[in-house]
Amino acid sequence: MTDTDTTRGPQSEPALGEANRVATQVIENVERVIVGHHDEIEHILTAMLGRGHILLEDVPGVGKTMLAKAVAASFDGSFKRVQFTPDLLPSDVTGVNVYNQQTETFTFQEGPIFANVVLGDEINRAPPKTQSALLEAMEEEQVTVDGDTRDVPDPFTVIATQNTVEQNRTYALPMAELDRFMKKLHLGYPSADDEAAMLARVVSDHPIERLSPVASVEEFRRAQRTVSDVTIEAPLREYATRLARYTREHGQLGVSPRGSIALLRAAQARAVLDGRDYVVPDDVRAEARVVLPHRIRTDTAEQIGAGLVRTALDTVPIEE
Amino acid sequence: MSTADRLGLGWPAVDGVPGRTRTAALIAVAAMLLSTLQVLYFFIDVVGLPSRFLAVVAASLVAATVLARLLTPRSAVALGGVLLLVGLWWYVQQLSGSPRIGELLTDTLSLLTGNTLLRITNIRAWVLGVTPAPTFLTWYFAMRRRYALAVAAAGGTLGFLVLTGDADLLTTLSGVVAAVAALGFGDFDRRGEPIVDAETILVTAALMVLVPSLVSVVPATAGLSLNVDGTGSDTVEASLLRSGDQLSVQGSISLSPEVRFTVTSSEPRYWRIGSFDRYTGDGWVSQTNSRAYGGDRLDEPPGPTRIVEQRFRAETDAGVMPAAWKPIQSRDNPATRVGGDGGLATGAPIREGDSYRVTSAVPAATPAQLNDTTRAYPQRIEETYTQLPASTPDRVGERTERLTRDARTPYETALTIESWLENNREYSLDVRRPDGNVADAFLFEMSAGYCTYYATTMATMLRTQDIPARMVVGYTSGERVAEDRWVVRGQNAHAWVEVYFEEYGWVRFDPTPASDRESARDRNVESARERDRPSVDTNESGGPEWSPTPTATPQPLTPVDNDTDAGGTPLGPQSRPGVNPEDRISTATRVGESPTDTAGTTTDRPGPASSLPSRREAALGLLAIVGTVIGVRRSDLGRCVYRSVWLYYQPRSTPERDAERAFQRLVYYLGREHDRPRRAEETVRAYLDAVDADERAREVASIRERARYAGTVDEAAADRAVSLVDEIVRSRGTAK
Repeated sequence: MTDTDTTRGPQSEPALGEANRVATQVIENVERVIVGHHDEIEHILTAMLGRGHILLEDVPGVGKTMLAKAVAASFDGSFKRVQFTPDLLPSDVTGVNVYNQQTETFTFQEGPIFANVVLGDEINRAPPKTQSALLEAMEEEQVTVDGDTRDVPDPFTVIATQNTVEQNRTYALPMAELDRFMKKLHLGYPSADDEAAMLARVVSDHPIERLSPVASVEEFRRAQRTVSDVTIEAPLREYATRLARYTREHGQLGVSPRGSIALLRAAQARAVLDGRDYVVPDDVRAEARVVLPHRIRTDTAEQIGAGLVRTALDTVPIEE
Repeated sequence: MSTADRLGLGWPAVDGVPGRTRTAALIAVAAMLLSTLQVLYFFIDVVGLPSRFLAVVAASLVAATVLARLLTPRSAVALGGVLLLVGLWWYVQQLSGSPRIGELLTDTLSLLTGNTLLRITNIRAWVLGVTPAPTFLTWYFAMRRRYALAVAAAGGTLGFLVLTGDADLLTTLSGVVAAVAALGFGDFDRRGEPIVDAETILVTAALMVLVPSLVSVVPATAGLSLNVDGTGSDTVEASLLRSGDQLSVQGSISLSPEVRFTVTSSEPRYWRIGSFDRYTGDGWVSQTNSRAYGGDRLDEPPGPTRIVEQRFRAETDAGVMPAAWKPIQSRDNPATRVGGDGGLATGAPIREGDSYRVTSAVPAATPAQLNDTTRAYPQRIEETYTQLPASTPDRVGERTERLTRDARTPYETALTIESWLENNREYSLDVRRPDGNVADAFLFEMSAGYCTYYATTMATMLRTQDIPARMVVGYTSGERVAEDRWVVRGQNAHAWVEVYFEEYGWVRFDPTPASDRESARDRNVESARERDRPSVDTNESGGPEWSPTPTATPQPLTPVDNDTDAGGTPLGPQSRPGVNPEDRISTATRVGESPTDTAGTTTDRPGPASSLPSRREAALGLLAIVGTVIGVRRSDLGRCVYRSVWLYYQPRSTPERDAERAFQRLVYYLGREHDRPRRAEETVRAYLDAVDADERAREVASIRERARYAGTVDEAAADRAVSLVDEIVRSRGTAK
């Protein structure tokens, strides 16, 4: 769905309240496992509620897998993990038709992509063809194997990670594919206090094993629908447009319309998280910091993208 | 820029800016040139025939436009110099006789110290000779974008006219404002900046107009004020007798009861001081120069005369030397000078208590003799004394023609005009000085005036009929304190008319109603005595009036009093020739009315023309207004005022707009209160946090947020927002 037009009419309060409760409780639940990283967890949740996918760029061992697992577990969703390697084939991701000698038919054996939360680890290690299999699934929410098209589960979120440490034999994601991730996040190392707290909690008995769901898949789906109904009035659409145009005017490659759409959808989710059924500029600004930078190419490093977004936020007037 | 542009040879748009600044600069230069030329035009107008002057100006402008493409500035300046020299040489050639260079130089010097150019005898030649050079240079440099030089050329000329005192305040101000505008716009033009940035020029110009006019409002500086309407001195005497070679007609005026002279004379006369020959439309100028008096006997006037011996004793220091017309001998004052018109003047002030004696040959022609004269005037007299400004409206002549159509001789004409003015205009010292031609205004727009108006109008009317007449000032005979003695006070200062008659010379006519004038003066003395003013009386005066013949002092002021010798019957009003029946009727009714309506009460009814500001005043005023508006806009003053009103008063409209405006008021208020306006890229929440806004402010913001971003707001919420903001802004400082 790419439609972000205003959908007027106030939502029934229960729907908004439920969505808000689901989001808040999932975040609380995940925080029982992951110490610190509150903002990042919020960002992951809002991305999922906005039907987006997340690119985590990080050093190994900061709890990416744990995070993804905890999120999935919190709404009773299925979770699968794919370790991308240079010899990984597209079918290793999507699944294959296997000949069943007993029934003399081909039966489809689902790949790891068929889960509510898919963790694609070190996605930049796989060759482009395999990468694109994953990305196609992300965009289309369906997989085609041997001419048969199969829908992926709903909700469906890909959390991909990129290893930025070992750049040998990696295939950097092209801009076109980066654009398909709603957000790019950095977890980073926890603070000293957080790390100590985490160690105390984890070493003896990892709480992920005892994490129980706080919402159902159905409730999560309804929350997603609620999010897509959040009101975005004209002044905000214009603000988002101004931001995007600013990056286009000042970067080598600016934010695409797909980027603007993603921005507003993330903002919708954030509004729900804040208990509102309408988006305010604060939502857009909070999300712009993670939704926009990876879509911008400047003349030097990608990191400058974040700088350009900051400049845009500090320059572009909110109200004309 | 192309080479041609750099040389200033063309005037295309600079750097794509349409030549609007250029147009503005040229208009400003033209306005400045116009201010200057207007003064010169006034001179030409006074002596008539402005068409040749206009042709000279036009030719200069065309030449400048054409030569701007051909001549280098150096040769243009040379050409200008040559033009000026040729013009002056031509002027000298036009003078009768060959004046010495020294005299010319002295004359020039005296001009620069405030002597009006109108005193120059051949003013027409002078203007025609002098005009081309500055006109040419100004326009030449303006065409070549050398605005500073253009302004210098026009400004130099205007400056000269200011020094001679001929450029009045309005003209000078217009010229200076135009000069500033020319320099400003010229600068913008040369730098190729768009005209919209030139607001500052207008603001400056407005200040230049406003500040001088405000100076007079400040009481302490009122003495320095620039008086635009030209009223300087405020007594009749000062306006008439202290103005040297010029007499400008003024507005309201008062009388001075101080004693000036005591005159011992065998008969009461008008004590004449001087005359003016050139009428400028708003005043009079004397072109003649006086010469030292050697004690010899002066020429007697032609025709029958009678000798009157007078002795004048100055009761205050006096700079004038009154004498009965026509003086033929003066004694006891070594500084005596003889005026160009034959009157007496003094080179040094006559000290208080000093006396001098004058012997006069008083014209004694009878009315019958005067009535027999024809219009065969000497050429010089006719040329000088029938001059009128070319701008004199034709209706003056037409009205005079109609009034005097029954008059067969110049004498009858003069009598008719005199009596008509006496009977048809009220005497009043409290009048508003009319714009434009005084005689025309007095004749057609005003209902009252004092002697200056009467005399000016009569002289003008006579001149329209080609009868030589001149404006004369002096004192009336004064209060008779003994059989042969009169006390002359400042309030006896008077203006009248002398008319030239073939074979008899200058004869006095006084068109001012004598009884009204005298009663105004008597009351003035009485009130001055009541207030114990010093110098009102001499030892002799103040007692009961000496009156063997009480009617003698305020004689009917016509040459009728010349009849005493001849024994003829004075011409009564009934027998005066040339009075139209309807005029006579109106005269009768006026006589029937009690003549109490004198100086004490205001009979001034200014005509429509005089109550409106002149075109130049209007232009300057408009400039002031426009500049002020721009200045106010620039200075944010207007916005501040608007903001205050806007902040405290909110008219209601739709809920959406109400909520939005309430919010804008809140943000403006918070910004002012915390000295921290909201930045454009700042969200409302962030801003409220930054200024640590209170709950009320946050509620308003939230109502507005819903209105704007959720599209939901109702009347109640809008009301709430508005009342909250009202509360906040009215309890200053509590929003913290």
